[in-house]
Amino acid sequence: MAEPLLVAEVLGKTYGDVVKTVALSDVAFSLGRGEFASIVGQSGSGKSTLLNLIGLLDTPTTGRVVLDGHETGPLGRGGRARLRNELLGFVFQFHYLLPEFSVLENVLMPGLIAKGVEKQLRPRAEEVLALLGLEGLEGKNANQLSGGQKQRVAIARALLNRPALVLADEPTGNLDTANTALVYELFRKVNAELVTAFLIVTHDRTVAQRTDRILEISDGRLVQDVRNTYVAPAT
Amino acid sequence: MLSLRIAARFLRRSPAQSGLIAAGIAMGIGVQVFLGSLIISLQENLVDETIGSSPQVTVAAGTEGEPVGFTPTVRDALGVDERITTVVPVRGFSAIYRREAESAPLQVVGGDLAALDTIYDINGRTVSGTATLSGDDVLVGRDLAEENGLAPGDTAALVLPDGAVSRRTIAAVFDFGTAAANETLVFVPGPFAAEVLGLGAEQFTAVEMQLTDVFASVEVADELRADPSLAGLTVTEWQSQNRDLLDALQAQSSSSYTIQLFVLVAVALGIASTLAISAVQKTQQIGILKAMGMHDGRAGRIFLWQAALLGVAGAAAGVGIGVALITLFSRLGSTFTISPQWGFAAVSFVVGVAVALLSSLIPSRRTSRLDPIEVIESG
Repeated sequence: MAEPLLVAEVLGKTYGDVVKTVALSDVAFSLGRGEFASIVGQSGSGKSTLLNLIGLLDTPTTGRVVLDGHETGPLGRGGRARLRNELLGFVFQFHYLLPEFSVLENVLMPGLIAKGVEKQLRPRAEEVLALLGLEGLEGKNANQLSGGQKQRVAIARALLNRPALVLADEPTGNLDTANTALVYELFRKVNAELVTAFLIVTHDRTVAQRTDRILEISDGRLVQDVRNTYVAPAT
Repeated sequence: MLSLRIAARFLRRSPAQSGLIAAGIAMGIGVQVFLGSLIISLQENLVDETIGSSPQVTVAAGTEGEPVGFTPTVRDALGVDERITTVVPVRGFSAIYRREAESAPLQVVGGDLAALDTIYDINGRTVSGTATLSGDDVLVGRDLAEENGLAPGDTAALVLPDGAVSRRTIAAVFDFGTAAANETLVFVPGPFAAEVLGLGAEQFTAVEMQLTDVFASVEVADELRADPSLAGLTVTEWQSQNRDLLDALQAQSSSSYTIQLFVLVAVALGIASTLAISAVQKTQQIGILKAMGMHDGRAGRIFLWQAALLGVAGAAAGVGIGVALITLFSRLGSTFTISPQWGFAAVSFVVGVAVALLSSLIPSRRTSRLDPIEVIESG
């Protein structure tokens, strides 16, 4: 059996030194390459905390995260930053585009952070922009785009370094129904064409129904991990 | 150089803020360059006015009244030091100017006009007549001439040390800029002074010297004192005899440095506070850059680059402002020439950039320590 892309073992996160708040405890699961999964749960259930731990944006109080065979526990800030850049793509509820840069430059940013040469990165950036239907917007400033376009640019940016796993935290939380449907279609398209795994955090079960696997978090614990056969009708 | 590129974009994104901070640096460095050039020029002018046209090191006989033999040995001993630009043997004595019932003490210097000119610049300071030193010529100062109604061509009676009276023709009147020199100093031909003092051809009362750097006089004098070929002679230099002037120059420099220091501190505080605000404003951008894998050090360097860009632009503009102020000051008819001190301006430029860089350390450290989760969670 192929080595899983992601292994989370007895992951726990407790905040506070005096008054301790347990945000996550004993979460264990693994994710294969190219999987299209979602994490569901109520607000405050711990799903974003889990995503942050998997995304190496935060460190667990207990347990371990193994990403693409890399044991992440012993890594320092620099090592975690390097793995984030090489293996992960992030899409948040807010697009976090850099307003000082054009659409193309925003998409190029993860490659430039990896010390890539802009000229060599450009075809790849144009390719992902085309994949997300953003041709012609390369020179525009992020502020000149609609909400849906901004989020698509953020997705394009997440895909530039060909990440093995895209972590999306409520990626359509700020979008209308049409754009929400479009974003999930794009996720699906990227998943199919680039064999990129997706782990999408959402509180919306109808969104989760569009994924192949649903992990449910409640009160900081993983209470359900099911394969989903439902395919949402085209909207 | 992604950090530099991001820094430049951050600055361009807030042109008013960037412009104001660069203007702050420019004004600070402009004041530095102007003030530094003013003080340096003022001091050079003061030093030049005070001792520029007078001997800076003097060799005299060990015993008062004894002559100094300006022998080839002495000449060679004084000639080897490259810091000594001019060596002039002179014959000096005291005399009295007498006019009817009035009299005034005089300090008479006898020598060759061409040689004396190299120290005293008599020709350059002649205000009337033509400076010549031959026959019965005498050159007198402006104050002596004005107080006694003397003009070139008039005769002046000098009472010599032996009581004899020498009537001499005034060839020219000079102005040395100081009342003491203009009232008491007079020049006569060398052979006449030798005759008055009863000195031979190689005998003088002193050998006067000027230096390339007037402030090297203490060092030069010490070395001359230690020279065995000058044994038995006394060496004096201007600094030990002008303590008050040196103290005044020192006090002027100290006050200038204090003002410049406070200007720099004000500039540093301005840059630090603006960059700190900028760091807060850009927290979201820095956070997402870090989430995408930018290392702490590289993120921190964004603000170092911002400071460097602002520092270079501001300091360069500051040097321009300083030079413009100097030009304006000179055109407004100042009593002395203030010239841009390019060396000082270069130092000010470097100091400006360094202060900007130092001021960015706090926002830079804050940025490098920023955890991306802080930004992501606060959304």
